Amino acid sequence: MIKIGDEESSIEYFPSTEELPAVISNILEENEEVVVSIKSDISDLKYGEDTLVLTNKRVLIVRDNNIIRNIPLKEIESVEVNRYVGSLVLKAKTESGIKSLISYTRTRAKYFEKIIMLINDLTLNQIPYYIVRKHLKEQVEEINKKNSKRKILARMISFAKPFWHLMVATLALMMFSTIIGLLPPYLMKILIDQVLVPQKNFHLLMYIVLGLLSINLTLTILGVINGYLSLKLNQSLTYRIRKILFEKLQRLSLAFYDKYSTGSLISRIVDDVNRVQTFLTQSLGLIIIDITTIAFIGVILFSLSSWLSLIALIPIPVSYIGTTIYRKFSRRYYHRLWRKWSYVITVLTENITSNIVVKTFGKEKDMFKKFTRSLTEFIGMNFSVFKFEQKFWPAIGFSFTISSLLIWWIGGLKVLSGELSLGSLTAFTSYMWRFYQPINRLVNNLRVLQRATISGERIFEIIDADLEVKDEDDAQDFEFKGHIEYKKVWFTYDGIYYALRNVNLKVKPGEHIGIVGPSGSGKSTLVKLLLRLYEPQRGDILIDGVKINKIKLEAIKRQVAIVMQNPRLFSASIAENISLGKENVTLEEIITAAKAAKAHDFIMKLPEAYDTHVGLNGSRLSGGERQRIAIAAAILKNPKILILDEPTSALDAITEEEVTEAIDNLTRGRTTFIIAHRLSTLRNVDKIIVMDRGGIVEEGTHEELMKKDGLYKKLYESQFKGFLKQQKKVEEIVAK
Amino acid sequence: MQSRFVRETMTSIEEWIKQLRILDPKRVRVYEAFVDTVNMEINGKIYCNVKPRRPFPYTHPEYIIFFAEDDTELGILTDYRKLDRMSRKRLERVLKIIYYIPQIKRIIKLDTTKSRYEWEIETDKGVVVIKTWSRCTRWLPNGKLLIYDVDGNVYIVEDISKLDPKSRAYLDIVA
Repeated sequence: MIKIGDEESSIEYFPSTEELPAVISNILEENEEVVVSIKSDISDLKYGEDTLVLTNKRVLIVRDNNIIRNIPLKEIESVEVNRYVGSLVLKAKTESGIKSLISYTRTRAKYFEKIIMLINDLTLNQIPYYIVRKHLKEQVEEINKKNSKRKILARMISFAKPFWHLMVATLALMMFSTIIGLLPPYLMKILIDQVLVPQKNFHLLMYIVLGLLSINLTLTILGVINGYLSLKLNQSLTYRIRKILFEKLQRLSLAFYDKYSTGSLISRIVDDVNRVQTFLTQSLGLIIIDITTIAFIGVILFSLSSWLSLIALIPIPVSYIGTTIYRKFSRRYYHRLWRKWSYVITVLTENITSNIVVKTFGKEKDMFKKFTRSLTEFIGMNFSVFKFEQKFWPAIGFSFTISSLLIWWIGGLKVLSGELSLGSLTAFTSYMWRFYQPINRLVNNLRVLQRATISGERIFEIIDADLEVKDEDDAQDFEFKGHIEYKKVWFTYDGIYYALRNVNLKVKPGEHIGIVGPSGSGKSTLVKLLLRLYEPQRGDILIDGVKINKIKLEAIKRQVAIVMQNPRLFSASIAENISLGKENVTLEEIITAAKAAKAHDFIMKLPEAYDTHVGLNGSRLSGGERQRIAIAAAILKNPKILILDEPTSALDAITEEEVTEAIDNLTRGRTTFIIAHRLSTLRNVDKIIVMDRGGIVEEGTHEELMKKDGLYKKLYESQFKGFLKQQKKVEEIVAK
Repeated sequence: MQSRFVRETMTSIEEWIKQLRILDPKRVRVYEAFVDTVNMEINGKIYCNVKPRRPFPYTHPEYIIFFAEDDTELGILTDYRKLDRMSRKRLERVLKIIYYIPQIKRIIKLDTTKSRYEWEIETDKGVVVIKTWSRCTRWLPNGKLLIYDVDGNVYIVEDISKLDPKSRAYLDIVA
């Protein structure tokens, strides 16, 4: 059976011969090393396993221990993937044509992406094998080091290192409370055997009652102190882990954010941190306490009566087995229950958010039926869960009752025969229940440990993520003049499709460059690389003759500004949003920037003017207003290089004119890239570059490009089709 | 070909600032105050029905921009408190109505049991009962606290530490 998405069986770096299909070890040549082997989950049009083996000399595909493809690396130009419905096919581009290598489902796609990059590094990018090997070996060692479960646990515990004194103190208090808590049954034994049964020793009665009172008071006080210390530990630990994570997230490049969804990242910072924190501050201590308590009470029980102790152990295996089976099946039931509830919420949300559709199509009755049906299903599922639970808990509870009755029966007989005192029997039963409690808790906490380890893994995934974009040791900070050069730049987001292919471009200081092209042609990617949001895989980008990876990130952030199509504002006042462009800004500078951005007039019409809170993402302002505030912030930043990504495409004609005026103020004298779909926006630029499928296909002024009869002319004519027809008609009429 | 943009010099914020019309308080006089306008003299020239506006009403209330009747900007006064006593008094009278922001001195009662909170507050303008949504506060960078009621009226707590302990305890619930 093939396990879809089974990561462990998917990929093996530098595998030993035992881990490889037998046929491979027989054909390996001298100096040939297996770099990686990866299993697919489709074989011969069905679920099955084919194996791709990459050596330093060739790519091999193995099916049922037979080699079905054997292509030397020197024959491969590059590898690429064709994506289909439910499957992907990896293909090699060779001198003799394109050859299919292996098929797999989308589930395995992420593992194959790594292999594709690897093969392309060796073939397309011509990186020598010894460099790839060194880099890969380091990566594998790092991953192995980080991923061992024991290591993860140790790393999780290391989070609490600065608060070790708090951890020790809470543990000591818990231990002390547990020991004190064990005293009352023993005092009860003395009370029964030495006071109540013989009906004497009244002074002892007083001491015992006072003793019980003191124990209770001590436990209460210890509880309060422990509660305070635990809270302090909880909060300090959560603060520390979240701070580390947030700090790391701030430094990670956009490539990292492309891989993870917002929900997944938030869930790591909120839920996973909570799980690790709960484990470290509560469960870890309880596991230690419970193991100690079980040993301690076990000794007491056996010292009171070894026979009764053996009977007391009867329900433990029943409970353990029952609980294990219950957990295995309960997940399915609770998952179904959760899905039913989720469906109720979906129907409800749909009805509220799409109320206009429901009303206009007269679908109220249908929606009502849908809602009541979802509710009925949810209620039905609740009963199923109840029925399922009744198969376990009463039986487990009954085993405890039987054991308890047996203890009373045998213990009672022993008391009657004088072998055991009444006090000892009472103390025994009391300790017995205290014995079961930590056992149950221990089973639960081991589950918490398991879940916390998974959460730990997810947290370390962020902490250990490579900073793809970081300052080199010899990076420099200087004032830009604005000369930009792209030299043979190649860039891919996923290692499969190249969003930029061999881009060469030279821009003079102060020049205005328009970038046009169909969607997905690489326009935005081109400028994102200039901001160092990503690193190109090949080629260089230079500012004033210096490679951008040798320029401090801080210098780039300070001197390159971007104004986007839908600028996002912070949930703060207008003044605070404009001030983002400069530190220690004066009120005059804020007003001036707003005036230059043509924002001052509308701001002053708002009752709270510059102190107006813009709402979440600037939701209280219109698109044009947000745009102008973003331009004001850019003006205040006084950048040497400016990027305008479709700045006016979402605006109406009147607002566009105002924003265009603001843009003119902003771009004056600065090296500027303007990405535009609307070609009319580019009427004043010095040069237009036309992009298609990741490459620059045309370059020149509007007039030059129109003469070329290429993609630009096609784009221009498609946008102005109506207008040109109209113009032709007018010309004809005039001619007549 | 030399780019036309290269020849144009980059306009820095410092150069633009020079175009702002910052007024000298010694050359500004307010003669008359009506409900929301003033008659005044700026640099020796008389203007009627001038509209004073605060660009930063909460964070820098001393900062004023004067607008003529036709909304032309007449100038900026960076601190109106530097005006002569009578001018300042007249201007403040107008500002008090344009920026009617009661200052909270004490919170007498706060009922949080309903979806809308009900407050009984003592302000510099008298005691009033207001209704707010549960999210109704906004902290300003200078430590002042704004409270918005359901109708959009604004109330300000200038210094939270100067409130009595009971009022502070009420604010702790919502702010």
